[in-house]
Amino acid sequence: MYELLVDLGGWLTGPEQWSGSDGIGVRLLEHLQYSALATVVAAAIALPIGLLIGHTGRGAFLAINLSSFGRALPTVGLVVLVFLASGLSMTPVYVALVALAVPAIVTNTYAGMAAVDRDVKDAARGQGMRWHQVLFQVELPLALPLIMTGLRLALIQVVATATIAAYVSFGGLGRYVFDGLAQRDLVQVLGGAVLVAVLAVALDLLLAGAQRLLFRHRAPATA
Amino acid sequence: MTIDWTWIADHSADLTALSLSHLQAALSAVLFGLLISLPLAVVAHRVRALRGLLLGLSNVLFTIPSIAVFVLLLPVSGLTRTTTVIGLTVYTLVVLLRNTVEGLDSVPVKTKEAATAMGTRPLRVLLTVELPLALPVIMAGVRIATVMAISLVSVATYIGDGGLGQLFTDGFQRNYPTPVITGVALTLLLALIADALLVALQHVLTPWTRKRA
Amino acid sequence: MTHMNRRTLLGGLLATASVPALAACGGGITSLEGEGNSLAGGGSSKDGVTIGTANFTENQILGYLYAAVLEAAGVKATVRPGLGTREILIPALKGGDIDLLPEYQGALLHYLDPKATVTEEGEMQNALAVALPKGLQILPYGMAEDSDAFAVTRETAKRYKLRSLADLAKHNGKLVIGAAPEVKKRTVGAVGLKDVYGVEFEEFKSLDSSGPLVKGALRKGDVDVANLFTTDTDIKAEGWVVLADPKNLVPGQHVVPLIADRKADSTVRRALAKLGAALTTEQLTELNRQVDKDKKDPEDVARTWAEQHGLAKRSS
Repeated sequence: MYELLVDLGGWLTGPEQWSGSDGIGVRLLEHLQYSALATVVAAAIALPIGLLIGHTGRGAFLAINLSSFGRALPTVGLVVLVFLASGLSMTPVYVALVALAVPAIVTNTYAGMAAVDRDVKDAARGQGMRWHQVLFQVELPLALPLIMTGLRLALIQVVATATIAAYVSFGGLGRYVFDGLAQRDLVQVLGGAVLVAVLAVALDLLLAGAQRLLFRHRAPATA
Repeated sequence: MTIDWTWIADHSADLTALSLSHLQAALSAVLFGLLISLPLAVVAHRVRALRGLLLGLSNVLFTIPSIAVFVLLLPVSGLTRTTTVIGLTVYTLVVLLRNTVEGLDSVPVKTKEAATAMGTRPLRVLLTVELPLALPVIMAGVRIATVMAISLVSVATYIGDGGLGQLFTDGFQRNYPTPVITGVALTLLLALIADALLVALQHVLTPWTRKRA
Repeated sequence: MTHMNRRTLLGGLLATASVPALAACGGGITSLEGEGNSLAGGGSSKDGVTIGTANFTENQILGYLYAAVLEAAGVKATVRPGLGTREILIPALKGGDIDLLPEYQGALLHYLDPKATVTEEGEMQNALAVALPKGLQILPYGMAEDSDAFAVTRETAKRYKLRSLADLAKHNGKLVIGAAPEVKKRTVGAVGLKDVYGVEFEEFKSLDSSGPLVKGALRKGDVDVANLFTTDTDIKAEGWVVLADPKNLVPGQHVVPLIADRKADSTVRRALAKLGAALTTEQLTELNRQVDKDKKDPEDVARTWAEQHGLAKRSS
């Protein structure tokens, strides 16, 4: 165990490990790119759905159940399935990552919207606000903490799962994990895993910081 | 991409075996996860100083790619079911621990005080008052953890286990969609059945919540 | 504190997990006392044999062929398909997770002894016997052979005037090779191509073992050179050019059973020897085709072949 950690230290700090087309620098950027794009696409799909069902209160049962169904989708199976249907490209990986991220965002957005006090909404309407004003000026700000929780959860899962790109020949930090598996090079596997975890935690802290910075002047949610 | 129905018919016995093996791996992981989370959650609930540490640790474990966990376990437990179950257990912790702590937190202090005032010993209070009242929140965690574990089992196909996940690597290698589609469908089916059973179990375990719902 | 927690946690789980293993050990010790010289007499396959196979079609077929002939000899055989690469399988064999695996002479030798230079089958067999770790042995090699091939498309061969591996060195830094990840560090792979032929690639792409990724990449032109198996029927079907190997980098790759001493009794030896003498390279190639192209089960294909060749009883 101790030996493995020493080797890991050497692996992570070796200058030759960081440079070049298969160096840590490039792999880290690739991983970041896969994760960011997948999360943004997932958010673009899931946020409107979550906001809409939260605002109207309609279709919630269906959406929430579909989401928990989505959580059961096996990522490996989805990647292979889309690969067989569409050929070798990043598409299978992105489809699987988006499918992974959507449920977390939908459920948390909906939960955030559902938690907004009815009286607050009624009061806003009473003041003559239009529906979109109620949605964007009243409900959304109040639901934001939970929406952000959903986004952060989705991002963490996507970063951890983007390793799968390496299974279908692409890059990212998963390269170290899959190559290390094939070569039984545990140092490489551990190095890849540590980098993924560090990236996930760093991105999570970044989002948490952004959240605090953006919304520190706002009153806390009604709950 | 067509489905070869005769393949499915010819392999019904194999598919059943893989499904059962898949389910066994996921359920064992949730069971071990609960055995680990329950005492840890009690500690996190009682000792404020440790709460952040324990929850943070389970969160960090969650960020490690599952395939890496399986590979790193190879020197310890080899190409066995044990490796799969330990790896999956790690991922159930984040949900189980968080929900159990939240469940314990949700028990009104007055209820606990009343039980203590009646002379009930602390361990009995925990077992007969706190845990039962926390059960709905804990069960919500168990449901999420179970569905997650069922979807994750297939990753263990990279170390030669993985239940239905073997259909994915097989279909991939041979450019054969039928096993892959079947594997995805069966995984979803397992998740659905397991979730329904857990809902039923919760119904039986917490009769006092029925009227409220 | 956090470490303590994690360790106790893991320790607890492992304690539960290792109970059956300990029990098995106990049985072994008592039976050893009873028989006295069971160590000298080799192993026993009485309790059945677990066959591990690598993550490609042919190895799985071979595993099921082993199982078919062992079952016919009255040995209970279990196949564990697709466990991974040699780098994963051999430690698992040593560790007792599996007992037997279909191997390839040259590749196995280079895994055990990267500096090995012998290429003739008999010499390799001797070198293997020396290089193998304690507790493992190889049985006589079979007729069938599946070598590593480095192949290019016809167009690439023409454009770069490629006929042998030596020609690749004329385009150092320009060509991309695709192979399974483990080939990057293998002698029969990127390491040997550099040492023996002085070939340096622009890039090594980690793909798979003569599977959909590496063949797809070669077809599409994403890689210039692909590491394939000679028993892959796509080489012929696609008209790919296998580069000649004048310096014998790629050793003979006859199929050879690698087995743990504890299971290598005369019943197993005899059954596998009969199989080795019967199965030809052409037949193995055809079995690969049936699984990869006709989508037949490796298990069925293996059993049918064994039955047709009188090596397994016809199933009722």
